[in-house]
Amino acid sequence: MKLLTHNMLTSHVKGVTKGYPLLIKATEVKVNEVDFNPQFVTRMIPKLEWSALVHAAEELGQRQDLPDELVPEYENNEEFLKKVHRVLLEVEVIEGCLRCPESGREFPISRGIPNMLLNEDEV
Amino acid sequence: MKTDARSEAPLVRYYCTAGGGMERFLLDEVKVKLAAEDMPGKVLFSSSVGINTVSELRAAERLFLLLKQDLPVQLSANTNPAKAASVLRSRVLGDKTLWTSAVMTWNHLQGELEGRRTSVNPPNPALGVTMKRDEGRIEEQRGEEEEKHNEENKSKRETAQRGETLKGETCGAEAQILEKKRKRDSEGKESNSGKNAKKPRSPEKERKRQYKEDDEEGRRKVMEFNGCGQSGKSAMKPDTDLCSRGSVCLIAEEDHNLKRSGMKMDDMAKDFAVKNVECVETTGGGDKTLLQPSRIKPEPFSPDPVSFRISCKCTGSLSRYFNTQEVSRVIGVGLSKLLGWKIDLKNPQLEVNVNLSDDHCLLGIPLTRLPLAHRSYMKTTGLRSTVAWAMASLAQIQPGFCVVDPMCGVGTILIEAAQEHKASHFLGMDIDDGQLRKANENVEFAVLGNRIHLLKASSMMLPLPSASVDVVVCDLPFGRKFGTKTTTAANLPLILTEMERILCIGGTLVLLLSPQLSCLLKKLLEQKASGPTSNQESKPQTGIRDGPSPSPSRSKQQAFQILQRVKSPPTQKTDPPSVLQHCLPPPLSSLKHQATLRVCLGAIDGLIHKYVKTET
Repeated sequence: MKLLTHNMLTSHVKGVTKGYPLLIKATEVKVNEVDFNPQFVTRMIPKLEWSALVHAAEELGQRQDLPDELVPEYENNEEFLKKVHRVLLEVEVIEGCLRCPESGREFPISRGIPNMLLNEDEV
Repeated sequence: MKTDARSEAPLVRYYCTAGGGMERFLLDEVKVKLAAEDMPGKVLFSSSVGINTVSELRAAERLFLLLKQDLPVQLSANTNPAKAASVLRSRVLGDKTLWTSAVMTWNHLQGELEGRRTSVNPPNPALGVTMKRDEGRIEEQRGEEEEKHNEENKSKRETAQRGETLKGETCGAEAQILEKKRKRDSEGKESNSGKNAKKPRSPEKERKRQYKEDDEEGRRKVMEFNGCGQSGKSAMKPDTDLCSRGSVCLIAEEDHNLKRSGMKMDDMAKDFAVKNVECVETTGGGDKTLLQPSRIKPEPFSPDPVSFRISCKCTGSLSRYFNTQEVSRVIGVGLSKLLGWKIDLKNPQLEVNVNLSDDHCLLGIPLTRLPLAHRSYMKTTGLRSTVAWAMASLAQIQPGFCVVDPMCGVGTILIEAAQEHKASHFLGMDIDDGQLRKANENVEFAVLGNRIHLLKASSMMLPLPSASVDVVVCDLPFGRKFGTKTTTAANLPLILTEMERILCIGGTLVLLLSPQLSCLLKKLLEQKASGPTSNQESKPQTGIRDGPSPSPSRSKQQAFQILQRVKSPPTQKTDPPSVLQHCLPPPLSSLKHQATLRVCLGAIDGLIHKYVKTET
């Protein structure tokens, strides 16, 4: 699971009103070098929940010097875009789980794929 | 305008075949990508962009070099068979130079395609084996040919070889043909000197002999002439289901079988390999083969002997005079006589596709070994790649979009979409681990791991916030392959509700449905939209409540009953009104219908629905 995906994921366990962002408990994290596509990163940034991304990177010990706030005019700031690129696409949780902040329900991540399936009694 | 380095024919006429319902997509694609003119039916176009660009078309089944496009061949009511054959022959064959120049162009294009070829690996090991085996043989054959080329008057040899070939054919059984061929290969050398005696025996005689033998041996054997052998039969059968418009050629269907029917897979793959091996060889053999076309060029009227076979499709009034095999034979023998080309049913250098109908007479030579619909970047195929591409193109994906396929299967739609849209994010979900594993392999194989991310989730409970994505595409499971027809139908309202929920305002929904599911969906949305009460959406069963009132028709009632059955379980579960987010789905009436398009999926048709989410 890459953090770009994590940034979108929400827990919909029955009764939960705020299932976002999910907490990450990782047992295996991989950092793969991935081709930098500035256009892609630039386009993704406005869609991100910035604080959730920073928090997730922090949890994985991959935050480095990612700022608390989104920097203005990031479009032309290649250095910044590369940092975001790294956090969004290069950091990948291979094994571990995602935890619903409200219910505590854990969603396992195995071989990089989070399992967000709920049991019948949870929906 | 970009032009080829080639000076003599910068503008090449092509045509592509398309699956049923795919013509409009292909037409649009050709217009956009190649700025080419269009014609209805098959998509015909001229282009001076490189062949490698042309062969990147995604909506096409197969790509052909247009050899001849003519008015339909018509025969008057009381033409006798002999006369009919001669009319057909003269109309279809036409001028000799047409053929020689077409082969030159074809050879040239094959050369240009070569670089690309090497990257297309045969997916089936059997294919590789077959190729290897044939390679040697062909290599040998070519060696001989070149040898002789220097020594001797070619036409004599051709005639001799043709004689052999025809003899082989009339023997009928495949094994015998193969044996004859092997024999021919060895006899080829002798034919230099010793077989000239055969020359006087005209192909005309051969043809008569063949007719006779055919009569004796029955029609089954005639199939052999058509060059498809066993697959000829199987390939022709699905014709009717596959394409209502009748514009898909035989080859497209074979490809189809290849992908869809696991049982035939091996046979088809082998046949396919055999059929195409020669094409590969003509380009794949490196410099030696590439030299061939250029060697031809200075003397276009005495080219190396071309081995060919006719692949024919004949419909309309003409089919009352001839069956497909007879047309193939008439044209094949005629062509052989006209140009001294040799008929080779198993491993021809080129295949001439002949389409005769009441509307047109169209001749072409396939340009690529594998159909364009075959994707070199796809490891496991799910949905037909052309249809997946069409769905992605309908979704009008823009840079920065987030595209979700909530039932992604092996990820075909996302991969087709991600190939074209480099600055968008794709999220695939499936409930099945096996499918996800294959999807993961596919994504890795296509090197799209950056942009396509996968997760396991139910389409009825998407783990995404409301109004968070721009496009939802989905091939809803149906048909024989999935034993879940009823499940999908039963879950459709919930699935749709979720899709709509995650879409942002202005977002696009593109669905592929079976005809049954399509009807169900239409009714579902009509009900949701009908009457002011439905907009209230205080409870999920609104659809049920106002269902009976607006339309008392029986079909509606049935749909309504299905709905009711479907709706009740989730309603019970999510009854406590505290769970605001989920028991109050946004009204489906916010989905505005944009288009419904029918495409052919093989045994059945599918319907692509497009909706845009609007403010309510």
